Amino acid sequence: MASTSTPMAGKATSGQGLFTRQSSGLVRELGVPAATGIALASVAVVNTFINFYSGLFNFTKVDMVLPLLLAAGIWLVAMFAYRYLLRAIPRAGGEYIYMSRIISPAVGTMIGIATAVGFSYTLSANANFAANYVPFALNSLGAAFNSSALMSAATSISGTTTCVTVTCSPGLVICAVGMLVIVGLASVFSLRRIAQVILALVIFQVVAFVVLGFLLATHSHQDFVNALGSYSGKSTAYNDVIALAQKNGIPLGVDIGASLLVVPFMVLNYNGVLYSYYVGGELKRPGSTYIWASIISLGLLIVVWVGVWLLMRNTIGLDFMQAQAQVGGTSDYSGITNLQANAGGLGYGLVLSGDPISKILIGLAVPAAEIAVDLAFVAVVTRVIFALAFDRMLPIGLAKISERNASPVNAIILAVIVAIGFTIAGSILNIANISANLALFFALVLLCGSLAAIALPFRRPELIYKPGTTDVDRIAGIPTAAIWGGASTVLALFTVGVIIAKPNVFGAFSIASIGSLIVIFFSGPIIYVIARRMRLSSSSIDIRLAMRELPPE
Amino acid sequence: MFHGRPPKRALRIYFATDIHGSDRCFRKFLAAAEHYEADALVLGGDIAGKGLVPVRSRNGTLTAKVRGEAVAVPHADEERLRAEINQLGFYSVVGDDGEMDRLEGDKAAIDAVFEGAIVEQIQGWCKLAEERLKPAVRCIITPGNDDPKAIDAVLKAAPRIESPEGELCEVGPVLLASCGDVTPTPWNTEREYPEEELERRLDKILAPAPAGARLVVNFHNPPYGSGLDFAAELDDRLLPVIRGGRPSIIPVGSKAVREVVKRHRPVVGLHGHIHESKGAQKIGSTMCLNPGSDYAADVLRGVIVDFADDGSYLDFLFTAG
Repeated sequence: MASTSTPMAGKATSGQGLFTRQSSGLVRELGVPAATGIALASVAVVNTFINFYSGLFNFTKVDMVLPLLLAAGIWLVAMFAYRYLLRAIPRAGGEYIYMSRIISPAVGTMIGIATAVGFSYTLSANANFAANYVPFALNSLGAAFNSSALMSAATSISGTTTCVTVTCSPGLVICAVGMLVIVGLASVFSLRRIAQVILALVIFQVVAFVVLGFLLATHSHQDFVNALGSYSGKSTAYNDVIALAQKNGIPLGVDIGASLLVVPFMVLNYNGVLYSYYVGGELKRPGSTYIWASIISLGLLIVVWVGVWLLMRNTIGLDFMQAQAQVGGTSDYSGITNLQANAGGLGYGLVLSGDPISKILIGLAVPAAEIAVDLAFVAVVTRVIFALAFDRMLPIGLAKISERNASPVNAIILAVIVAIGFTIAGSILNIANISANLALFFALVLLCGSLAAIALPFRRPELIYKPGTTDVDRIAGIPTAAIWGGASTVLALFTVGVIIAKPNVFGAFSIASIGSLIVIFFSGPIIYVIARRMRLSSSSIDIRLAMRELPPE
Repeated sequence: MFHGRPPKRALRIYFATDIHGSDRCFRKFLAAAEHYEADALVLGGDIAGKGLVPVRSRNGTLTAKVRGEAVAVPHADEERLRAEINQLGFYSVVGDDGEMDRLEGDKAAIDAVFEGAIVEQIQGWCKLAEERLKPAVRCIITPGNDDPKAIDAVLKAAPRIESPEGELCEVGPVLLASCGDVTPTPWNTEREYPEEELERRLDKILAPAPAGARLVVNFHNPPYGSGLDFAAELDDRLLPVIRGGRPSIIPVGSKAVREVVKRHRPVVGLHGHIHESKGAQKIGSTMCLNPGSDYAADVLRGVIVDFADDGSYLDFLFTAG
């Protein structure tokens, strides 16, 4: 069976210029609609509010339209670079496959390990996101069911204390760990069952997003001012929040320079939109299918996110959103309203919604989205752990498959334990720091893919020869793949540079966050050295053999 | 913990599978003997290509579609064009418009051209093995379900190749049992049998093995639910089923293979068939391995397996070269 044959068994098909015989093979039959579905399912739509908040919290005088468009531009350039990679190596596996085939197997393996650790870290970050929204969810449910008990639970669960030497919120850490345990237990079921759960959760968050858009579009600015007053039990709440920001000397308005600095958060927003290349082995006409699916997905997200942002600007008001993000963590703000600042658009939706159904949908949208993303990530992480265990970088027991439900129980346990470790370490970081770390991680992954695209026409030109020739496409003598790879590299470096150049704003470079990134990107070589030395002492096979390129001649 | 002494090996097998007509992968397969210091090379089936590209000859120019793009080259470049097509795992047939039009719609004629191209390629490969392999290296090639039965005789007749399909074969301290038969696929290929019949055939192959012999099974079909058999679920039109925004992945291996492995307890199982399901899995005491296949990217996936002088399994390592 294969992923590379055509479906017309035993037929002559001159239209496709190929005769095929009766043979098995999974057909490249994922067309543009299916690939678009995969790309959109990989993006957590409601996470945009987390990233909007991170931008507004870390920078003043920010407007999101320009960053949303620029970040889309970065992904658009990357998309063209990845198109060449996908055409050359139409296989599932992403950057690990590209780096190992084009740069070297050893580098590919390092990226594989970094990806495994990085994705485990993402599991943890998503759980932290969800935990931070638990108070908001409890408040929403409290409002929906008119329950003061739920609302007071929201207050107590987010209470802080001193953990070792830093302030942390044990309630939220327990929520995050609890979510990881639930995700781990759910992941033990068959992939088919998990996929059904993911689909249900994705539908749930999309419905919540549509409800929110409807609420914003059907209410005026004055409606929101009145609703916030009513929600807060203080008719002047709206103006009080803005006045509090002004009293604290926070500048409001729009500054293009500040808006540019928010681009990394918006890059993170779109993460996943190009992920149809992860199923490159099943795409029909991989190059063009991938391009169309990515363009449609990007276009759709731009319209939806820019549209929602503009609706929020119109109905809520930019000054209020900026002020709320800046003062939302202060006790003075708590004295005005209990609307959770980092809930952003979802919080505004909660204020505007008059019926309990909308409140429940909006309240549970983020936890639902993060559980869906984590369930999908567990599947991805365990596949990577499989691959590493098969290559003997990790103990082979991690590749053990349960006979009952065909799930990799040991790999799931490892992934969840690592993620819980990251969660406990991450409890000393705030939500914005986690966003910045994730943005940096995914920007570095994007950088790897971009570098592979640059190297492709030089290291493996035969994979992208123009048919019937022994040369690659060129513009002004430079291979086109390298041009797109170079452009994507520059933009990825810009994103990395903005994050690194603004540690005081992003606040990401604490000992814990730097330690996390070091673990992610340098554990590969360390694991490799240890695995090789241990193996040489007990096995007749040197692990280096796994990474040698075989000469065909 | 770093200062132990590695166990001494008596036999090293290099196993690859599912190269589907890729000339480049076969050449790498031969090179693997020296590169990995293997005593025996085993190619576990599905070696024939699946596609035949019509190359039309018109006024001194050859035209064809390669990677979906129309290509026109002068007649002088015929060999290079056909080699490029072969690198993709396809064969080519050259003819004028009339010949090509006659081929279209004539299934029997296409099958005949296919068979000829496959046999010609296998004969070429056998000759290449004769030229390149050192005398001490054994080269075992067995067919898979995607290989026409016409290649069996070609492999049996090749002096440098051993093809013990459906037989037991002594390889150093182990007995190798080979079978390219599989359970029914959606494509209705040549060597497909229901689970009960496949189990009977596998048992028959293993029956002559003396008690206590160290067995290695080279069964193309992987065991069901082993993690070596994950493939995309297909609907009635052979299109991937999408669930939750992603292709639904299900186990598609053979329950018969699983039962036979449990019953006969070979030391190692060598499998293929499911390209995207590279993996290693223990079933009882048997280490089952599927190195997967990446032939379309010119990458030869394989696995090195070491055995001690009593035939016991020592270790394995997946390779990608």
